[in-house]
Order: sequence, then C-alpha cells, then structure tokens
Amino acid sequence: MSDPRSRAAAIEEKRAKLLAIKREREQRNRDLQSSRQSLGHTPGEGSGYSTPIRTTDRKDIDNLVNALVGQGRSSSTGPRDGASPARGSRPQSLGSGGQLSGGDATSPIRTNGRVVQMVSSQTQTMSTDDTVTYNEPALPKAKPEVAMYSRAVQTSEEWTPPGQQSTGVGDDTVDWEGQSTSPRTSKRISKREREREDEIRTNIRREVEEELKALQLGGTDALGGTAEPNFPSRTLNDDELKAVTSSEDFLDFIERSSKVIERALETEYDILKDYALGSMIDEEDEDGYGTSKGKKGRRVKEVAQFYSERWSKKRTITSLDFSPKFPELILASYTKSPLHPHDPTGLLQVWNIHTPSTPEYTFHSPSDICVAKFSPFHPNLILGGTYSGQVLLWDTRSRNPAPVQRTPLTGSGHTHPIYCLDIVGTQNAHNIISASTDGVVCGWSVDMLAQPQEGLELQAPDKKTEDCSPTAIAFSEADPTYFLAGTEEGSIYTCHRYDRAGAKAGVDQRVVYRGHTAPVMSIDFHPQRGPLDLGDLVLSSSVDWSVKLWRVKPPASVAAGGTTGNIHAVKPLLEIAREDLVYDARWNPVRPSVFAAVDGAGTLELWDLNLDVEVPVAKVVPSEDSARGLARRGLNKVAWEKNEGKKVAVGGLDGVVTLFEVGADLGGTEGVKAEEWAKLKRAVGRWDPKSAVVAGASAGMFSPVNGR
Amino acid sequence: MAHTAPDETLALLTRIGQKPGVQSTLILSRETGAIVRTSGLVANDASANPNATLPPAAENGAEGSITEKKSGLQSAEELARLVWGFVNAAGTMINGLDENDEMKLLRLRTKKNELVIVPDSKYLLVVVHDTPPA
Repeated sequence: MSDPRSRAAAIEEKRAKLLAIKREREQRNRDLQSSRQSLGHTPGEGSGYSTPIRTTDRKDIDNLVNALVGQGRSSSTGPRDGASPARGSRPQSLGSGGQLSGGDATSPIRTNGRVVQMVSSQTQTMSTDDTVTYNEPALPKAKPEVAMYSRAVQTSEEWTPPGQQSTGVGDDTVDWEGQSTSPRTSKRISKREREREDEIRTNIRREVEEELKALQLGGTDALGGTAEPNFPSRTLNDDELKAVTSSEDFLDFIERSSKVIERALETEYDILKDYALGSMIDEEDEDGYGTSKGKKGRRVKEVAQFYSERWSKKRTITSLDFSPKFPELILASYTKSPLHPHDPTGLLQVWNIHTPSTPEYTFHSPSDICVAKFSPFHPNLILGGTYSGQVLLWDTRSRNPAPVQRTPLTGSGHTHPIYCLDIVGTQNAHNIISASTDGVVCGWSVDMLAQPQEGLELQAPDKKTEDCSPTAIAFSEADPTYFLAGTEEGSIYTCHRYDRAGAKAGVDQRVVYRGHTAPVMSIDFHPQRGPLDLGDLVLSSSVDWSVKLWRVKPPASVAAGGTTGNIHAVKPLLEIAREDLVYDARWNPVRPSVFAAVDGAGTLELWDLNLDVEVPVAKVVPSEDSARGLARRGLNKVAWEKNEGKKVAVGGLDGVVTLFEVGADLGGTEGVKAEEWAKLKRAVGRWDPKSAVVAGASAGMFSPVNGR
Repeated sequence: MAHTAPDETLALLTRIGQKPGVQSTLILSRETGAIVRTSGLVANDASANPNATLPPAAENGAEGSITEKKSGLQSAEELARLVWGFVNAAGTMINGLDENDEMKLLRLRTKKNELVIVPDSKYLLVVVHDTPPA
C-alpha cells in the first residue's frame, strides 16, 4: 500500500517527461485558443467571467468539486481523456458557453455546473499525469504521493496558465488542492463511479465539440449562436415559399433590389482598375459608326442605345424628354405594337442612362401615347397625351404601370388625338395645356383632371370654316399667357389663352408666321439662360424639308401697333433647307447658337448659327445593331439634357433611343462665352431687315431691329 | 390598385440571372437566412425545396453547369450560410459605428468575382458575377 520512496527516482524521471508532454499540450491549447479567439471571442471574457462565480459560490463549488475530484483523481481513464485536444478547450467552452447562454446572472446553476465540470477535468488531467506512471495497481497509493508532491506538480507554472483560465481557475485549483480532502476521497473509488466519470467526460467532450463546430460554422456571429447549428437545414416548404414570393414586401424588395443590382452590374467603370498594369487603348479617338468626325470640340459621340426587345420592338417613338430633376432619366413614349396585340397599346418607358438594358420604369396606357413629358415642377410626375384624347398622369412612385390620373373622354375635354402638351406656370401654380388636332386647347390642373380649367378652340383667322389643327405648340418662358401653335397647313399662329386688350382669347387674328408649306413638326422658343434675352427667337421644323428661325413679336407690341382687318404675315428670319423631312429641332439649353435637328433620313444634325447657317457643324447617325436586323430608319424626336446641354437623345421609327454626347463646342456649361449671345444677336440683326414682312403690313408692325 | 403580377416581378429576377457575367443569384430571408429563391446554384441538400430554384431557362441551365465547374460556390446552402453570416457581421459593425445607421449595399470584390448584396429589412438579394475583365 505505501512505499513511496522506492519509486521516488522513477517518479522524478517520469515527471520530467511529463513536464515535456505538458508543455506540448499547452502549446496545443494555446494554438487552439488563439484560433478560437480569432473567431471573435475576447480573451478577457472567459476569465473575467469565472472569477465572480468563484468568489460567490466558492463553497458550493468546493463541495461539488470535492465530490467530483475524488473520482477524477483516482481515475485511470485520465490519459485517454488527456490525450484529446478537447481537454484544453474546455475552459474556453465555459467562456463561450456563457456567452451563448446569454449572461451569468440568469443561469447561475448551469454555469456553476460547468465550472465544476471544468475544474474537475483539470484535476483529472493532473492526476492523470501521476497515474500514468503507476497504472492500475498503483492507484491505491495515490494518497501519500499526492500529499507529497501534488502541490508542486499542480502549481507548476507551465501547467497553470493555459490562456484565459490561468489566473482564475489555476490558482483556485491550487487553493482547494491544499485544503481539500481529495486524496482521501480518491481512495474510495468504485467501478460505478468510474463509469459515471466516463459518462461525464464524454458528455463534456461532446458538448465542447458541438460548441467548436458551431463556432466554426457560425463564423463571427455571436448573437446567432443558437440559430446557427440548425441553419443549413432550414428550408422553406412550398406553402411558405408561395406566401413569401407573393407577398407585397417581397415583390417590393425584388423591384427595388433588382434595380440596384442592375445599376451595380452596368457600371462599367472598374474602380479597382490599375492603370499601371496592361496597355491602355484610348477609345476616345475611335471614329466610326455612331460617331461624327471632325474637330475635337465638335465631336458627337454615341453613348448608349436604349431598346427593349420585348417592349420597344415595332413601336415608334413619339416623344422624348429628359427629367429636369434627374438628368440621367429619359422618358420615351411609344405607339402601339402590331406584334403584341394584347399588350397595352400605349407604352412609356423611362430609361436610365446608366442601365441601357432595362427601363427604370414602364408605364402603360389604353391608347397610343402621342406626347409625354416630365412635369418640370414635380420630379415624380409624368404627363402624357393619347391618341384617344386623354391627358394621363403617371407617378413613378406607384408600382402600377397604369396612369394614376386621367382626363375623361367627354365633350368638355378632348375627343381628338393630343399631339401637343405642355406644363406652364410656376412651382405653386401651374397648368397642363393640351391641344388636340381638332383645335381644342384645354388647360388642366395637375390635381384635378376630371374637368378642364380652361378651354379654347383655335380657328385659323383666314379660314374660319376649317379646323385649325395644331401639330406643335410652344410657350414662351417670359409670358405663359400666349403660345405659338404650328398647324397642319404650315402656318404658325400666336394664340392667347385669355382675353386681353385688343385681342380675344384664341388665335391672334393679326399675325401669322407664314413660311412652312407642310405640317409644322416642332416649335421651340430660345431658352432664356444667357446674358442677353433672345427669348423671341423661335425655331421651327417642318416636313417641307426645312428648319426656320423666327422672330416672334410679343403680343403686347402686336396689340399696340395693331391695325384691324389685315393679317400680317411674318416671314422667317432664316430658312435652312434640308435634304429630308425635318421632324424635330431643339435649341441647346445652354449654348445660344446651337441646336439639334433630326430628319427622316435618320440623321442627327447639330448646328451652330454663329458658325454656319448652311451646313451643320456635325452630322451623326445612330449605330445599328445588326442583331436587331433593322434598316436605318427616320428619326422622330430629339431632346437635350436640360441642365448641362451636353447630352442629346434621339429616337425614331425603329423604337430605339440613342444617346449622344456632344463636344465642348456644341454643349456643356464649360467654355460658354457671353459673346456668343452678342454674336447671335448681331447675326439676328443682320438677318432681320432682309426678312421683310410681306406687302400690306404697316410700318408700325415692325419692332426695331435692335430694339431689345 | 392592381399591382404588377408576381410573375412579372420575378421575371426581373430571371433577367438578372441571365445577364452576361452573372453566375448566380440568391434571395434569402434576412431574419432566418432561409433560401427563398436561387438561380445558377446547385442545391446539395436533397431536402431543399426545388421550388425555390427559378425555373431554369434554356440558357440558364447551360450556364449553371458551366459556372458549377469553374466556381467554387456551387452549393446554394453553402453560399447562403456564408453570405448570411457575413451580412450579419457587417450589420453588427454598422450598428456599432452608428446606432441609427443602416446597411444599404455590399459589394464584395474578390480575385475571381464580385458579390453584390442588397440587404433589406426582410430579404437579401445576392448576385455573384464575374468582374469586368481587367
């Protein structure tokens, strides 16, 4: 039973060996700990956590520990356990277990239990180190040996500081080891107890392994710890799926997120690009289809084409407009498609410059949309006029592609196609003005489309019996009470919205701008942005193969100098004959002398009146997509980006919207010189006297050439 | 007010999945991480609901098999789990920076591809796509 001395030498030898083994284990433990800590556990948590428990429940623990340690100490199964790496991680499992179970205060019993388990396991391993040397037969001798040297072994520095637990549990172990009766209890070993011990040990190991697994699986997510172990098995069944995929939330989310994704994917600029790597090809100098040649500043470059195989096909573009608030948005309205008779007839797509493959918004209408515009006073609203004679209002905030408001098809509104639409007024007081081909002009309030606020019937002054059929209208920025209406027969009339001194509401009976011999396709007032007011210059295009420049007389001056009875036909300042039908002509919003025109041959022409009045500065044809298999088609509409005047969009019979960017000489706010206005003004002065008023006009009709 | 049919909305998703360069798409529930919809991914778990996978369009199926070979992330569950963990970690970080802040978009660029993650209050949309050739 007791002859310790005879084995002393052997023990010393073994102890040295054991020390080496312990070091090795420690190393392993540390490695394990550090890997675990790197998974997101702060090292302080574990030890800081165990301390309060030790102090508060010291007695309990001691009791428990004593009971347990007795078994552990004498156990011969120790080596098996000790060999497993799980042993070292057990102390940590306490820390992480505490975190996972969410707070020491709430579950003291459980954590106490854990502490005890842990402590006992440590003592086991310590005793293991002894028992290895003796093996089974030596067990009963454990008592005196422990009394002699256990302290030295157990307090040895190499053993106690395994990571977080070092100060807390290590010291504690030593304490109670000194005072405890564990050596004695260890004698009372029984098979049953050993089995229980094994059970506990395997339990612990399983627990630890589970925790480790969870940690590895769950990565850094500390809170989701409970959800993670069963995460991969979470699959929705059919009903759940259906419920989810048809829920409003989900659809909303898809709609929003797919736009974001789309933009993210379409952004071509690679922010990770390293210009030092690889050779760069300068694509700026590439000249080809879709790009006009010429001097650098006058270059026109094709940026993007917007076309949807599903929706745009076989539809003709009827209008184009840039959003005044979001310059990257372009709206295009389309006629009906013969390919899809069951699709909504009218189509309106809002394209984003950055995502050419998909429209940002799509809107429908029951009838062809002949004209559409962004509301300049409300970034979310889009207005349209249809072939059936309705004025429609869409809202980009609505997920519904149908218009949110529409005018009725009654006698009080329009019963003929609306080709002209404009919004005039100010932010707080504006009206929609619409004109249909039967000469009816209506004013609408944006808030109330049920009934027109004002109504007007246009009648040509000389042909009272016939309808005056407006094909284009334009408002002067300076005076929204009158507008110009280009008609089917080619004349342009001044129209007053209200009765005024010397003139009744309707077509002004005294002045007619006569020059076009075919329907007028567009009228555009000069934008008032420069240092000089050129707001009386008007550009018109017509299918008589010409673009004409007019000088409009303000209605006031007409009224002042008016003679009754005679119709004064005003001739254009400038006539620019073209080689094809001109469908649209628009001033550049920032360059006083630049305008863009599109024609039936499918060409976009850019003109600078200060440079040349006979030849366009640049000519460009939208590139063709061979996959689309479309022959070059006429261009219908042209629209400038409103803030910078750097981009111009064209669209035509093939339903493709093409976006161009113009060089610094043709657009853009940079490099605009004040003298450009003066130059144009002088030019206008030169042209004016020649464009005399036709015979019969009184001298009083003339406003002084340089009067403004 | 009649809203767009679910089918039409889901077509948006299908289209994204078919865009050039897009390898796979994945929609998860933000709360539980459950897979709502995938495309271009292979479900390695037999218990996974086949309805969660988008009806494979002709070219979609072909693409899927290609991406399967070349990309390491072919398992929907695997990707879902990793992404979900990542998003939650990112969300925790954002919350740590500013309580009132919210994560709007995650773009994760790797050597091989890019993950674009749109987190929302209830769902997550993940798109894996090839990075532009650089």
